[in-house]
Amino acid sequence: MANTPINLRDLVILVADPSPYLCMLVHGILRGFGANKLLEVRHSFGVLETLVGQKIDILLCDSRLPPHGGLQLTRAIRRNTENENRTMPILIMSSDTREATITGARDVGANMVLAKPLSPASIYDRLAWVAFHPRQFIDTETYFGPDRRFKIEGYAGGVGRRKGDKVVEVAEEVGPTLAQDDIDSLFSASRTG
Amino acid sequence: MPKTPSPEAHTFYVDTRFQRLARRPGGVPREVALESAQNNIDQSKPEFESWLDAELQNLATVVRNAEAGMAESGWLEDVGFRSRQLRDLGTTMGFVLLTFVANNLCEILDATPAGHASDMETITCHLDALFLARQEQYRHMRLEEVPELTKGLRLVKETVSISPDVAPK
Repeated sequence: MANTPINLRDLVILVADPSPYLCMLVHGILRGFGANKLLEVRHSFGVLETLVGQKIDILLCDSRLPPHGGLQLTRAIRRNTENENRTMPILIMSSDTREATITGARDVGANMVLAKPLSPASIYDRLAWVAFHPRQFIDTETYFGPDRRFKIEGYAGGVGRRKGDKVVEVAEEVGPTLAQDDIDSLFSASRTG
Repeated sequence: MPKTPSPEAHTFYVDTRFQRLARRPGGVPREVALESAQNNIDQSKPEFESWLDAELQNLATVVRNAEAGMAESGWLEDVGFRSRQLRDLGTTMGFVLLTFVANNLCEILDATPAGHASDMETITCHLDALFLARQEQYRHMRLEEVPELTKGLRLVKETVSISPDVAPK
């Protein structure tokens, strides 16, 4: 994954953050990656208006986007069955990378969390992860979004909660896999590039 | 006892436009992309420093007005917003210490329950620290190179968080 180029040309990227300077910074980083269609808004109303007006390919959204917050906005986007953008990748930008925040972002349907202060490397790697590691979507009464299970480690009690889950016997790893540290690093704070 | 399986979940794959286009040939290799992005950041640094100076002055004005009893309503939210900006941008633009100081202040402000008075001394000492962190000689310093400053501010945060007037975080 680390060496596979991503092609951001003509992808419509929406950056939602209350700080105009941060939006400018993120745009500069994304332009460096080859992106050429960049939008920005300062609040969640702006995001919702933009989503009605056009197709957005990916959203980078601050966790404290006023007035509702990025997590609530993400939940609203995922739960809106009328909007064609409801399956777009959503990356939450947050300076708070405690487990509760990461879990909260995951549970509202965000794909990834980007730790602030941002670094070009962390943004690139997460975009590449989203591009090259598609996850199936889950639609239930209480959740709509990408599968929250990154790595099957067996189910608590031996039985999965979903109807289609079978008993899983987790074999010993025999080949190269993504280390848990690598998975964790995709979610945990990464303040340097 | 195993959990009862919940109602059936509908699972499906979505090949989003982002994934389709991002995987096209002709993408920018990681090393080139990072270098280009860093170049863009570096080119914006002079402008950032002007913006930073203006922001610090604005922050100082808000705090001074509050000290003088002339603060507008919502001044504390204004301080919080400006501090978060500094925290979010500092390290990326080469001001690691600035991010540390701003983050310390943000955590103090976030821990202060709504309606509780904020300690002006705490805010002003962080403001002084921000101006210090802005100085060129402190710009590239790592936190361990200024232990008095970092320990002092961490102590302020701990002290504020156990104050009887402020609920613990």
